[in-house]
Amino acid sequence: MKPSTVRGRPRVNAVTRRLAGHLVRGLVMIWVVTTISFVIIRNIPGNPVLGQYETLIERGMSPDQAERATAALYGFLPTGSLWEQYTGYMKALLHLDLGQSLSTPGTEVVTLIGSAAKWTILPVLGGTLLSFVLGVTLGVYAGVKRSGKLGDLLSISGSLLHGVPQYVIGLLVLAIFTTLWPIFPAGGPVDVEFVPGFNAGYLASLIQHATLPVLTYALASYGGWVLAMKSSVATVLGDDFILAAELRGLSRGVLFRYIARNAILPLFTILALSLGMLFGGAIFIERIFNYPGLGLLLVNSIGARDYALMGGTFLVTTMAIIVVNIAADLLYAVIDPRVRTGGVA
Amino acid sequence: MTTTSPETGGHPGAPSPPGLAGGPGDMTAPGVRVRDLVVVYRTPLGELPALGGVSLTIEPGTITGIVGESGSGKSTLALSLLNAVQPPGRISAGSVEIDGLGNVLELGGDDLRQARGRHLGYVFQAAQNSLNPLKTVGKQLLDLGRSHGADDPRALVRDARSLLERMGLDGARVLDSHQHQLSGGMRQRVGIMLALVLNAQLVILDEPTTALDMITQATILRIVREVHKERGLTTLMVTHDIGVAAEVTDRLAVMYGGRVVEHGPTMDVIGAPSHPYTQGLIRAIPRLSGDTAEARALPGRPPTLGTLPAGGCVFRERCPLRMDVCETVEPPPVLVDRRTVACHAVAGARQERVVREERVVREQERVGREEERA
Amino acid sequence: MTLTTPLAGPPNMRATLRRNFWRGVARVMRRKPSRMAGVAIVCLFLLMAAVGPMLYPAHLPRDDNALYAAPSLAHPFGTDFEGTDVLALVVTGARYVILTGLATAVITVALGTALGLLAGFHRGRWDTALMRLTDLQLTIPGLPLLLVLSTVWKFNSPLEMGLVLGLLGWGGVARAVRSQTLSLRERGFIEAAKGLGLSTRHIIARELLPSMAPYIAMNVLIAVTGAIYAQVGLFFLGVLPFDSNNWGVMLNLAVFGGGALTSTAALPYLLAPLLAILLLTLGIVLIVDAMDEIFNPRLREE
Repeated sequence: MKPSTVRGRPRVNAVTRRLAGHLVRGLVMIWVVTTISFVIIRNIPGNPVLGQYETLIERGMSPDQAERATAALYGFLPTGSLWEQYTGYMKALLHLDLGQSLSTPGTEVVTLIGSAAKWTILPVLGGTLLSFVLGVTLGVYAGVKRSGKLGDLLSISGSLLHGVPQYVIGLLVLAIFTTLWPIFPAGGPVDVEFVPGFNAGYLASLIQHATLPVLTYALASYGGWVLAMKSSVATVLGDDFILAAELRGLSRGVLFRYIARNAILPLFTILALSLGMLFGGAIFIERIFNYPGLGLLLVNSIGARDYALMGGTFLVTTMAIIVVNIAADLLYAVIDPRVRTGGVA
Repeated sequence: MTTTSPETGGHPGAPSPPGLAGGPGDMTAPGVRVRDLVVVYRTPLGELPALGGVSLTIEPGTITGIVGESGSGKSTLALSLLNAVQPPGRISAGSVEIDGLGNVLELGGDDLRQARGRHLGYVFQAAQNSLNPLKTVGKQLLDLGRSHGADDPRALVRDARSLLERMGLDGARVLDSHQHQLSGGMRQRVGIMLALVLNAQLVILDEPTTALDMITQATILRIVREVHKERGLTTLMVTHDIGVAAEVTDRLAVMYGGRVVEHGPTMDVIGAPSHPYTQGLIRAIPRLSGDTAEARALPGRPPTLGTLPAGGCVFRERCPLRMDVCETVEPPPVLVDRRTVACHAVAGARQERVVREERVVREQERVGREEERA
Repeated sequence: MTLTTPLAGPPNMRATLRRNFWRGVARVMRRKPSRMAGVAIVCLFLLMAAVGPMLYPAHLPRDDNALYAAPSLAHPFGTDFEGTDVLALVVTGARYVILTGLATAVITVALGTALGLLAGFHRGRWDTALMRLTDLQLTIPGLPLLLVLSTVWKFNSPLEMGLVLGLLGWGGVARAVRSQTLSLRERGFIEAAKGLGLSTRHIIARELLPSMAPYIAMNVLIAVTGAIYAQVGLFFLGVLPFDSNNWGVMLNLAVFGGGALTSTAALPYLLAPLLAILLLTLGIVLIVDAMDEIFNPRLREE
C-alpha cells in the first residue's frame, strides 16, 4: 500500500496473492462440479453402472473381472458403499481417467474429448475475436455519439442481438444461408471427399463449413460488446481526467487512446463470463450446424445414454470455463496498474 | 487508495535549479481582458444564463482570485478563458482577449488545442482525478509533449523533474508512478507541473486546494505563490474560500449569480468591502471579521440558474441596501476608489460623496476667497 | 427519488408520491411510443398463455391433404408435417413457455431477494459464504448442467421446469439486491430507520424492498427471459420427452424431424416459433428499457 514500495516486489505479491486466492476458489469449484457429476451419474434412473456390471456377469465374467471392467468404464466401482464409490471416482479423476465411451466402444473418453475440443475452441475464438473487434469499435462510436440516428440504431440492434438466444440466431442463419439462399453447406465440419491435410481443397472446405458457425458466434456476442462498450465509453467520457486531458491540449489521437483504453478495461471481466455463455451457445450452434465439437458430443452422449462420456464432457468443459475465468482475472490484474500495484483490493 | 501524504521533502524557497528551460524572462506575463461574456446553459426550461455579461481585466503578472458561492459562475468563467465551456453550456456572446493569443473565443481546432497547455495552463481541483489512471505520470508527460510538438523528450522530462523537485517531490519516482500511488497533495503538484512544463504564462487554478488537509493546502498555496513569482506568470485562482484567496492573491474578483460584483486589490476588497454581497460574505467568516459572535450568515439562498431574477440586480432579493431601481435596472460596474463595483447603492453613495466633497471644496474655496478678501 | 419516499411519510404524502410515480411512468411511456408496444406485446403473450389452449380443441386437427401447406388465409403460417395449423401450435404452445417463465420468476424473486438481503444486511461471514455461492452459481455454465440434469430429472411439468431454472438462476438477483442493500446501508438509510425505532422486519418489508423493487423487477425480467430461452432450447435439443406442445418441440421437429429446411415451402413452420421468441424478446427489451429510464434518475435527466 505504501507508495514508497510500489515497484518491484509488491507487484509480484499482489498478483501472487490474487493467483493463490483464485486457485483455492477454483479448486473448490472443481470439487463441487465433480461431486455434482458423481451424484448425477450415480442417480441416473435404472443405475446404468450396476446394470453394466450385471450384464457383464450374465455374459459369463467373474464378479471380479466384471467389477474391474465396469470401473474402467465409469471411473468407479459398481458395488460397495457410496463413500467407496465416491473416493474411487475422485481417485480416477485425479489420474485423468474419465472412463471409456460406451457408444464408441474401446475408446477412452479423454480421446474423444480431445478430438472434439478443437472444433469448439477454434470457432468460438474466431467468432469472439470477430465480434469483439466489431462490437468494441461500433460501441465506441455509439458511446461518443449517444444521440443521433446511427447511435440509436447501433444500440437497438445491439440490444436485440444481445437479447435473442443463440439458437434463434443460428436457426435464422441456417435458414437464410442454406435454404433461402443456399451458398453454404448445411452441416458437418468438412466435405468427406477431401483428404485431410494441408491441401487447398481440404482447407477451403474447412473454412466453408466453419463460416456459418463462426458467423453465428459472432452475431450472438456482438450485441453484448456494443452495449458494454457504449456504456463504458459513456462512463469514461464523464471522468474528470478526460476533460483535464482536453484542457491540456492533448491531440485527438492521444485523447482517443485514453478513452478507448480506459473503456475497454472493464470489458475483460465480461469476456471471461461471456466465454462460459458461449460454450452454452456452442451446444446449440454445434447441434444446428452438426459441427463435431464438445457441445454436440455432450448432446449425443445424452441421446446414446453414454454416461461416462456425458460426465467427462461436462466436467472438462466446466473446468475449462473455470480456468478461463481465473486466467482472465489474472490478465486483468496484469493490465490494470491499480490492481497490479495493489492500489485497489 | 494510497493516502499517505509524504509531504516530507518540502524545501521552501529552494533556489530554482539551473537549466529550467524557458524560465522567467523568456516571455512576459500576458494580460487578459474579458468583455461582456455571456454563457448560457441549455435546460428543459430553455437557455439560462450562467454568466450574464461579465467584464474583467486581469493585469499581467498578478495573482487574481475569483471567489463566489457554488453556482456563481466562477468555474464557468475559468473554463471560458480556455474556450472550454462544457455542453450543455455555450458561450453566446462576448470576447476573451489574451495577450499573445488574441480573442480566444475565435480560436478553434488545432489553434485552440495548441493554446491549451502551451499558453494556458489549467490546474484541476485536487479531489478530481485529472490523470489517466492507467498510465504513469511520465508517460502522460510524454503524451503532452508529443501533442504539442515538443521535439526533445529528454529536455521535457528534465524540466518536469526539476519542476517537481522544486515543489519538494522526488521527481524521478513521481514520474514513474500511477495516479493511485500519489497522495492528494502530490497529485496537485503533478497537476501544477503539467500546467507549467510547456511554459504556459497564464495559469488558471480551479479550486486547487479544495479537499486537501490544512497542511497540504498551505504547502500548495506557498508553491503557487513562489512559482508565480519565479516564472513571472499571470495567475488566476478560482476558489470558494475567501481565506485562501486572502492568503495568495493580489487582486480579488467577487462573483454572484453570473456577474462580477466587485473587483479590486485583495486587501481593499477584504478590508473594506463595498458591495453588499461582499460585505455579507466577509461578515459570514469569523476568522476574518474577528468575532465569532458577530459572524452572520447571509440571509436567503444562493441563486441557481433557474431562480436567477430575470431583470434588474441579481442580488436584490438578499440585499439590505435594496432600492426601487434595483428591480428594473442592472447595476453597471463603476470605478470606486481603486476597484469596480456593480451596485446602485454604492454608486449612488459615491455620487453623493463626490457631490459632497465637491461642495466642501467649493465651500473651502469660498471661505478662502472671503478670508483673502478680508 | 424512490429512496426518499418510504421513510415515515404520512399516508397522503405517500399517495402523492405514488401518483407522481405513475405520472413519471406515463411520461416515459409517452416519450417513446415503442415502449407501449413492448407492454402490448408482453400482454399479448400473457393472454395467449391464459386463453390460448381454450381456443382450440385438446387435440389439434390434422389435415393429411395439407402437409407443409404454404401460408394461406386458413393457415396464416402454413401447416406442419402432419397438416396441423402452425399458428394454433404457436398459440397453444405459449402456455408451457409462459408458465415456466412465471414459475422461474417466483423462485428467482424469493431466493434471490432473501439471500441478497441476508448477505447485504448481515455482511460478515454470511455475506462471504453467500457471495461465494453466487459466484459458483454464476460460473458453472447453466446449460450443460441442465442437459446433464435432464438425464435424472425429466421436468415433467412446466412448474418443475421453472423450479429447476429458478434454482439455477437466482444469482443475478441476489447480487443486485445485495449491492442495493449495501449501498442503502452506506448512505445511513438503515441506521436512520433503526434510530427511529423501527423493527428489522419493518425496515426490510416497508423501507428496503419498496426502494429496491425496480432493481429486483429488472433482474427478474432478465432471469425470466433467460429461463424461457433455456427451456425452449432444451426441447429444441431434444433431450427431454416431447409430451407437450411447446415452441422448442416445434423447432426440433422442424429442423431435425420434419426437414423444414429442405424446401422453402416449409420454412414458415420453422420461422413461426422463431418469430414468437423474437417478438417476446423485443417486448421484454422494450420494457426493460422503459424501466431503466423510470428507475434510473441519471438517465431520466438527460
